Amino acid sequence: MAWSLSRKVSVALLGILLSTMVMTGAFGYYKFQSVLSDQVNSRYSFVVFTIKRKIEDRLALGLALRALRQIQELAELEKARDSQILGIQIYDSNREVLFDTDRGTIGSRVPSTWLEPLSAQGTQPFSLTDEDSALVGLPLVNTLGKVEGAVVLRYPATYLEQELGRLLQRLAGEFAVVLLGSAVLSVIAASWLLRDVRQRLVAMENTLNQSVTKGAPAKPGRDAFEGDFVRFCGKAREAVEQIGEASDEVERLDRLA
Amino acid sequence: MKLDSSRSLLIRLFALAVLVLVTPLSILSLRALGEFEQGMVPELDKKAAAIGRDVAGQVSRALGYGIPVDRLVGVDEFFSPMLEANPEIRYLAITDPVGRVKFINGVDRDELEPHYRSADMNAVGADGVKSSIGAYMDLALPLTAGQTVAGHVHVGFDQNHIATRLSDILADVAVVIVSSLIIAFEILLFVVFVNVTGPLKLLRDLVNRAGHGDFTHVPTSGSDDEVGRFLRAVQGTLRQLDGRYRQLMAYVDEVRSGHFDKGVVAKVGDVADRINFLYRFSPSGKPEPMVERRATDIRLALFLFVFAEELSRSFMPLFAGRLASSVPNVPIDLVMALPIALFMAAIAIASPLAGQLAERVGPRRLFLIGAVPATIGSLMTAASFGMFDLILWRTLTGFGYAMATMACQSYISHAVKSDRRAQGLGVYVAAVLTAGIGGNALGGVIADRIGLRPTFVVSAILVVLAAMLVSRLLSSADPAPGEDQPRPPGGRHLLRLLRNWRFTVLMVFAAVPAKMALTGYLFFLVPVTLSQQGWEVAEIARIMVLYPLVMVAVSPLAARLADGLGWRAGQVAVGGLIGGVGLLAPLLLGGGPLSIVVSITALGVSHGMSASPQLALLPDLCWTECRRLGNTRVLGFSRFVERLGSVAGPILAALFIPLWGMSGAVAGLGVVVLSMAVVFAIASAAYGSGPHIETEEDPA
Repeated sequence: MAWSLSRKVSVALLGILLSTMVMTGAFGYYKFQSVLSDQVNSRYSFVVFTIKRKIEDRLALGLALRALRQIQELAELEKARDSQILGIQIYDSNREVLFDTDRGTIGSRVPSTWLEPLSAQGTQPFSLTDEDSALVGLPLVNTLGKVEGAVVLRYPATYLEQELGRLLQRLAGEFAVVLLGSAVLSVIAASWLLRDVRQRLVAMENTLNQSVTKGAPAKPGRDAFEGDFVRFCGKAREAVEQIGEASDEVERLDRLA
Repeated sequence: MKLDSSRSLLIRLFALAVLVLVTPLSILSLRALGEFEQGMVPELDKKAAAIGRDVAGQVSRALGYGIPVDRLVGVDEFFSPMLEANPEIRYLAITDPVGRVKFINGVDRDELEPHYRSADMNAVGADGVKSSIGAYMDLALPLTAGQTVAGHVHVGFDQNHIATRLSDILADVAVVIVSSLIIAFEILLFVVFVNVTGPLKLLRDLVNRAGHGDFTHVPTSGSDDEVGRFLRAVQGTLRQLDGRYRQLMAYVDEVRSGHFDKGVVAKVGDVADRINFLYRFSPSGKPEPMVERRATDIRLALFLFVFAEELSRSFMPLFAGRLASSVPNVPIDLVMALPIALFMAAIAIASPLAGQLAERVGPRRLFLIGAVPATIGSLMTAASFGMFDLILWRTLTGFGYAMATMACQSYISHAVKSDRRAQGLGVYVAAVLTAGIGGNALGGVIADRIGLRPTFVVSAILVVLAAMLVSRLLSSADPAPGEDQPRPPGGRHLLRLLRNWRFTVLMVFAAVPAKMALTGYLFFLVPVTLSQQGWEVAEIARIMVLYPLVMVAVSPLAARLADGLGWRAGQVAVGGLIGGVGLLAPLLLGGGPLSIVVSITALGVSHGMSASPQLALLPDLCWTECRRLGNTRVLGFSRFVERLGSVAGPILAALFIPLWGMSGAVAGLGVVVLSMAVVFAIASAAYGSGPHIETEEDPA
């Protein structure tokens, strides 16, 4: 495949455009993902915080965590308010699940790794990941500052991907259309911009052929470069003629014998 | 449009690049941003609803005990921490059933009350009602006391909150677009020069020669584009002509050797002499291909190489700071400065050696040799686990950098004729400056998005790309093996340059402080200061880019002024004073971003004003030495001396920090730079003008 000047320029431009689009797209996407993820986390952290506050209010009255029966209803109410919440669990510092929106798991034990954030982070929200869900949690602290357990909210790990996937698909389609449009524009524009160069090169090539091989007089050039080229054609023509005449003369002299 | 000039063609194609790159990217970015904002709205609504429900629940409980809305106590104490913990929420308010604001926190009551009073609050259901009030989005939820609605809770968030959170995306897009345009410019320059103007310039030289009857050379062409086809046509014509000539000469030889009539032999000899008098053909038996080195051949590779190095400019001290804990008993600021200082030291030490190596092995091989430590250095920097190995890898990268850049300088100086050396230097400086703008800015964005360590991997990839370009394009650039190069005068001769007081004063009081300010302030203090103020790497990079931008704007004007007025020493002095005063900005404006912007701008103006006149001043100040040692050696030595300033800058700045803090360190560096500039300004008054030949008395 012949690579014309306009094709080279178009390919260079489209290569740069494509890499720039991929880069800006990727950077923009990851930034958006991070902002959205922060927002989702912050919302669920708030929900967890409201449950934590209500539990700690009751703990402040001197009640034991295990004895706070209303907490089960509270957790179920919060879950009912948001279809994205998979479950809300309250477990104690012995890893035992005391309350859970999935009542079947009450009494079971949470993984030991779920206790680590309680000692490390004190009162800060923490994030965990389970098999297919993401968790946001807060430790439950009594009035003496002792960590009694934690409340965690579970939401689908794929939630963000689902939200972003649809968006990404739509944008990818638009990216493809714009890239295609730019490709067409770039090929046409590059061809048009380089038309002058192409035409002048063809004209000079014709001048060379006409002048040197057929002996036609060369047309004057448009600028210094073409002027020099016309002079070159004239000189080449002159050399061809001189060499031709010299050859004839040598031949004539050779035959003089 | 001139066919053998890049300028007009490049302008047209760059305009096309702007059209093809900026338009679609702007449209897509705005579309994507719109989509992103829309995608965020439901999440904000849910958050506002969660907060609103919580507030409504708690207040309703109090109302349930029979406390009237306007008698509630401690509402402010209840709202304040909630607003503080949720910055996207701008206000919280409680209104009575007719919309009178009873409690509000976050905005002025008068901003909202007229709206609440005119709104139909009876329409607010259990799920609440969302409405737009000026710059806010308001969610109203009912407050119930038993079965009656006793008022409403209002949660308001800033409508521009999402746009503000996503504004970084727009800034990133702008940086990436500008960097892409710079890369596009370099690539288009390369495409135009390699494919169009370069071969046509060569052809012009060739047709000029042929116009005077010299047909010894033919143009070369490996491409199959329009220019390639045209060159092949010219080549065909010249080969045909050469063939006819050889045929004639063969015939002449045949007649000369075979003819019995001496008179005919003499006449045939005359014919051959006439042709050889009128025209020149290659004595080697066939026309030789015309090949010529051009400064632009290496520009793209140089650009990519420097671009790679610039990627880490905005965060190098911060990266070092993360590893600094591994060095006991050394102040952390000094540890953070060491990788920059030692990188500069490696360049200073390796550059003279690399210059000599370039003469021996040729620029192509030297570039490829230099690419090896540069690539390994970048890759290992990405993997470094402690301060000591970071310093080792940065030093190695510095050696590679020195070799590659010296290879480019050597190639350019060989490619351009001595009377066009300034033009060649312009190619070098332009590539370095554009790489500085694009690399620094893009490096910040990349580091922010994918991390500091992966950015060094990107650097390594770019260095490999640059090496591949050099390997492919400069195959015939190296000198023939064993080619005798004149041995340059030794280092002792160069040290004698320091006896020339004008040269020494210029170096010590102008060149060295300029570099000290560049590395100590811009490369070290700016990233550290801004990072401490909570700025992200991408933002730091955007501010640092001001320096090359200002330089690009000021340099041509300064060069024109220097040529026009011939007041070079004065310009260097004024530039130095501006740089020194600029660094004192924190004393007047404090340590905030404004003072940093002012200082960087002043530094850009300072270096833009003084860099070219300083270079142009050298041949005048060292007229005798330049004749004896050569301009290049004198220039090389001056670069070595000024790089000592590059080494000292970060160390000095780091030593100032524990004494006077960040702003104090900047001002301290400013005092040092300003004092030296004042000394130079006073001394330069005694420089006089024109070449100084009195040092010729110096015994060689």
